[in-house]
Amino acid sequence: MLHRVIIRQTGECCACSSDESLLAGLVRLGRRGIPAGCLGGGCGVCKVRVLRGRVRRLGPVSRARVTLDEEARGYTLACRVAPCSELELEVAGRLEKPFFKGFAASAGRVVGK
Amino acid sequence: MGVMRIGHASLKVMDMAEAVRHYEKVIGMKTTMQDKQGNVYLKCWDEWDKYSLVLTPSDQAGLNHVAYKVQHDADLDALRQRIEAYGISTTMLPEGTMPATGRMLQFDLPSGHEMRLYATKEFVGTDVGSVNPDPWPDDIKGAGAHWLDHCLLMCELDPETGVNKVAENTRFVMECLDFGLAEQVMVGPDSRIQAATWLYRTTTPHDIAFVGGPRRGLHHISFFLDSWHDVLKSADIMAKNKVRIDVAPTRHGITRGETIYFFDPSGNRNETFAGLGYLTQPDRPVTTWTEDHMGSGIFYHTGELVPSFTEVYT
Repeated sequence: MLHRVIIRQTGECCACSSDESLLAGLVRLGRRGIPAGCLGGGCGVCKVRVLRGRVRRLGPVSRARVTLDEEARGYTLACRVAPCSELELEVAGRLEKPFFKGFAASAGRVVGK
Repeated sequence: MGVMRIGHASLKVMDMAEAVRHYEKVIGMKTTMQDKQGNVYLKCWDEWDKYSLVLTPSDQAGLNHVAYKVQHDADLDALRQRIEAYGISTTMLPEGTMPATGRMLQFDLPSGHEMRLYATKEFVGTDVGSVNPDPWPDDIKGAGAHWLDHCLLMCELDPETGVNKVAENTRFVMECLDFGLAEQVMVGPDSRIQAATWLYRTTTPHDIAFVGGPRRGLHHISFFLDSWHDVLKSADIMAKNKVRIDVAPTRHGITRGETIYFFDPSGNRNETFAGLGYLTQPDRPVTTWTEDHMGSGIFYHTGELVPSFTEVYT
């Protein structure tokens, strides 16, 4: 089942299936610079904060990358969760910088590096 | 003679069953032992000591420690004196701290990574034995890695604050553990910042490597294969097993290794590589890569740096 995923900082949307990771949906935005790292919950580059909606855990998330306190505030790794409903999220951590760099590049129709 | 080679790596994994499946089925190691704490010990077919990889259950990924084997038990006392004199505190862990392993000299590298030295580990022999051996055993699984060959540690480097744990580690292992410097990457104004180093105790280009990054971590552990074709085959095995490949088969300029990088199920990066590179000798000139050619040093064919390769690690 497809769910709408809204990125609060840019207002962009992507569709993400409840059978796939949130990161797979974000990658389909087709932007340069979306860091897909280890895909195993260990490296932490795809950190996001879920602001609204429900997600399902696909596997372990490194406690070194998402603390208990952060988890309570909605932080998780996009590679390790799938959407169960419409979602609104913020990109966070190391995903943030390349994400906005890519947004600025595509908004300005500049080929970003 | 002091340090001989890498002896084992101890890795944190978040799903033990998945991790064991990966290191057995994809890398081709065999489980040799498990302990009461739930740690699993594995070895490659061409290794003769009881284990070269320890997997420990954890809520995160990364390296617990890396251990190097020294030739004589007395080397541990001599090296302890040199390391303490250098200003680094050490602990001698008694025999049996790790199963099948003798006493271990434990200390932190200047970068903060834990290193251990040991002289004895239970001998079990290679899978082909030592008398009239066949060139390879019949029950090879996956990539059929020969041995754990080296590791690459990410070390804190911040030119603005003057922190350079790559240079500090390099100096320490050369002065205290008699490692030789095979290759280095020099960056910044006048190429004065040592940003990455590859060091040896064996006759191959690296037994340990240090690369600068924003935080301490494990970049990868690496396993040896015979040939370029074996690297290609290991990529096929990764595709079959849906393993996340980081860098498809290519060649490094640095060390000349033929390589593929991928991740274990917890996100710890692995490498399988082929090619012993060249003969390292104490009088061989150090190879230096400059900042403008760093891309070719890392990935020789494209000459382009892959952001995930330097930014993603556990």
